[in-house]
Amino acid sequence: MSAYAVQGEDGLPTSEPPATGFTEEQAMEHIDALYRTALRLTRNPADAEDLVQETYLRAFRFRDRFAAGSNLRAWLFKILTNAAISRFRHTSRESGDSSLDEMEESDLYAHVAGDGGRGESAEDELLNAVLDVDVREAIEALPEPFRLAVVLSDVEGFSYKEIADMLDVPLGTVMSRLFRGRRILRKRLTDATRSTAA
Amino acid sequence: MDCNELQARLEQFVDRELSNEEAAEVQAHLDACPPCVRIYHFEVGMRRLVRRACCESAPDYLRARIIEAGR
Repeated sequence: MSAYAVQGEDGLPTSEPPATGFTEEQAMEHIDALYRTALRLTRNPADAEDLVQETYLRAFRFRDRFAAGSNLRAWLFKILTNAAISRFRHTSRESGDSSLDEMEESDLYAHVAGDGGRGESAEDELLNAVLDVDVREAIEALPEPFRLAVVLSDVEGFSYKEIADMLDVPLGTVMSRLFRGRRILRKRLTDATRSTAA
Repeated sequence: MDCNELQARLEQFVDRELSNEEAAEVQAHLDACPPCVRIYHFEVGMRRLVRRACCESAPDYLRARIIEAGR
């Protein structure tokens, strides 16, 4: 193999690969993921559409800054989350606080751990009882920093490190937002399940 | 590792963010502790629930609008 041959992700040589940029097709592969994230962040379809369009227009404009072969999905999400965060700053009505500090993790898990003899696991019970719409509402009710961390990790599967890079925050901040956000979610959803079952 | 230590690391375990060594310790505890296994399944179930609920597709007209605007 010559010193000038360049390898694609599959290890095979690719013909005339660009050093930067991406194709329209490559970028559009991620539109569903960007859109569902935008929906959770803006909480309405019209704003989500605007946010996704803004994301793509910026991505196309700054195409040259994207190093070919790096993670396009993470790069697009970084643009989306930055655009979303600057919107939040303008129209912030988030309190950022919640009453979760009093809630102990052990209380939360006690009901799950003690569910052994009931034939149906807590997981099945929850999965069966909670409607998708309730889950979406519970996510959308989270304060914005927690919501973002939960969506990026639990829905989109980004690593802590990828999320930290995306949001320009330390890894520990990602973890604390994520764990706190999940704790609020778990509480809302288990409370909803128990009130449904009652 | 006791149950409290397990619960403190469980989310990182489910997120595959622990080192191999730490993950092995969590796994060893889970192998011996049914109540913690239930908590583990609950955590996994929560992730699945969230992912299942968030699965919208972008409308076709948005796709078309973006492609048009990008040219």
